[in-house]
Amino acid sequence: MASSSQRIPVEERLFSLVLALLATDAGLTKTEILSTVQGYRQKYSASGDNSNLERQFERDKDDIRELGVPLETIEAPGQSGNNQNLRYRIPRGAYQLPSDVRFSPEETTLLNLAAMVWREGSLSGQSRRAIMKLRSLGVTTTEPVLGYAPRVRVREAAFEPLSDALERHLQVRFSYLKPGEEAPRVRTVNPLALVQHQGRWHLYADEPESGTTRTFLLRRIVSPVETTTRSFVAPELDPSAEALAGLEAVWEERLAVVEVEPGSDAATRLGKRRGTRSVDDNSLELHYTDENILADELAAFGPEVLVLSPPSLRDAVRSRLDRTAADHG
Amino acid sequence: MADRPQPQRAQDKLAFLLSLVPYLMDHDRVSVTEVAEHFGVPAEQIRDAVRLIGVSGIPGETAMYQHGDLFDIAWDDFEDNDQIVLTNMVAIDDSPRFSAREAAALIAGLQYLSALPEHSDRTAIATLMSKLSRGASAVPSPVAVEASESDETLALARESVERGVQLEFDYLNSRGESEHRLVDPLRVESVDADWYLRGWCHLREAVRTFRLDRISSPRITEKPIAHGATDVTLPDTLFEGSADDLTVTIDIAAGAVALLADYIPEGAERTDVGDRVRTSIRVSHYHGLKRLMAGMSGVATVVAPPEARAVVAEWAAAGAARYSSRP
Repeated sequence: MASSSQRIPVEERLFSLVLALLATDAGLTKTEILSTVQGYRQKYSASGDNSNLERQFERDKDDIRELGVPLETIEAPGQSGNNQNLRYRIPRGAYQLPSDVRFSPEETTLLNLAAMVWREGSLSGQSRRAIMKLRSLGVTTTEPVLGYAPRVRVREAAFEPLSDALERHLQVRFSYLKPGEEAPRVRTVNPLALVQHQGRWHLYADEPESGTTRTFLLRRIVSPVETTTRSFVAPELDPSAEALAGLEAVWEERLAVVEVEPGSDAATRLGKRRGTRSVDDNSLELHYTDENILADELAAFGPEVLVLSPPSLRDAVRSRLDRTAADHG
Repeated sequence: MADRPQPQRAQDKLAFLLSLVPYLMDHDRVSVTEVAEHFGVPAEQIRDAVRLIGVSGIPGETAMYQHGDLFDIAWDDFEDNDQIVLTNMVAIDDSPRFSAREAAALIAGLQYLSALPEHSDRTAIATLMSKLSRGASAVPSPVAVEASESDETLALARESVERGVQLEFDYLNSRGESEHRLVDPLRVESVDADWYLRGWCHLREAVRTFRLDRISSPRITEKPIAHGATDVTLPDTLFEGSADDLTVTIDIAAGAVALLADYIPEGAERTDVGDRVRTSIRVSHYHGLKRLMAGMSGVATVVAPPEARAVVAEWAAAGAARYSSRP
């Protein structure tokens, strides 16, 4: 056969597999797939060892599922545990976009903009793919959004492994440096949500060891994130809103009072910060979530800012300025 | 912002094929050019995909991929006229669902945009988010972004860009000087919680980036802009380098290098000095540098030149002095 010597491109094999599994109601066994589907059948040996091909099939299944294709495994009745009799299929209803999920031109424009928010990392790839699927519906956008480039950054190396573990409900381990502590401590947690608050990424996670749910700042994760094989049961409701609300409550509760040099950069920028209130001519009341981060921000203003309260923040800013002066002296 | 062309992986090519088929099914006859434009990809990528679709199908009852089990296209129309006409279809009826992570990426993007002036209709955004959830093959991943803050300056900046009219405002630079600026607004950009206006500055006669939180008394003029987005090049990075930039050598904690990524010029040398990295950053003047360094106390230190060290030391010492001169 002429086709046996020709190389079948990977995408052709994957595409043929999806088509074959969509077309079957009863499902296909692995042997049926490997011996008949384009891209596999050319390498299939009816009498010999197909273990390479079987591994190929396992990887292909993962690749396909990652695209959101619901590739199902069905056990033959009374045959549980027998791997050779498993059947595979892609139920059409679970594969296709429901018929009532359609988007207007205005919605499509907005979704294009939402996708543009991500310019780096896996979220950028995911949103590009989502837009491709959206275009599949044939809706043309109302207007190209020029002159507008909102962007959310994902710079922390921990983000990718954490979002992966989040998706697969796997426990992770990392070293975390809490401010004020001498050395980082290894934390083992079940990731529940990744949220950005005030421009910073946080991990919301259950810590089985302490029996508590905690929020970790991604930039304080100082080691590579290690994903374990231990899985956990994810909460039924999306905990990200709860995580953001928790951060917001802390932000609401914490108040600093600072004196700013009139007309200075500090006066202008701190004055425009969300939630800032003028106490008198030169004093501002600021909300914050993390004292150390606010201390860094305030120290940057040098002599334009004097912290009045709380005392711990005052000390933190003062020691930062002392340290910077000493390091550069 | 220009989309960088990415080399396509087999998985991406598959996603594209699964998206292209339903589109072609909805269009009885469509030109390669039109499809390429709609999907925003090169025409050759469309042709490659169509060639593959045209010979693909299901094994069928005979397990032999017989004619009726395959997609088919009007090949002559395709080869001669660059037109696509599907003449036989198999297996696929409609567009694929979003994956959990794809839906999550769009939902989180929408959350970020939801508080902006033009999206005052919160129910429309909520409807859209729920549609994305229902259109996903699994529950969208829990990734969320706080809605970005909006204020009058942002609304005015957006309006001036859209209308193509000049914007004037008082701008406080990092030297602490306030100047009146007249600007041809070209693009409103954000990075996380910070917003910027990029435009042609009539005072500096160059493209400049303005932080919105440093702008006071903004006012929209009726004067049309003198320089449009097509007349000037807006660099992809937010901070446009200039020939007058100063290069400064710093030592920085290895884990914090990413925080200064915007300032580190491409190809800058990096050497390890103990647990720190020695590298160089570019700044337009030392007034920006002193603020940057004072905000990274204990994390980054200027090594050279001595003038730069002195400016930072003086700034921090002046700040510290305020605490000793008053109780």
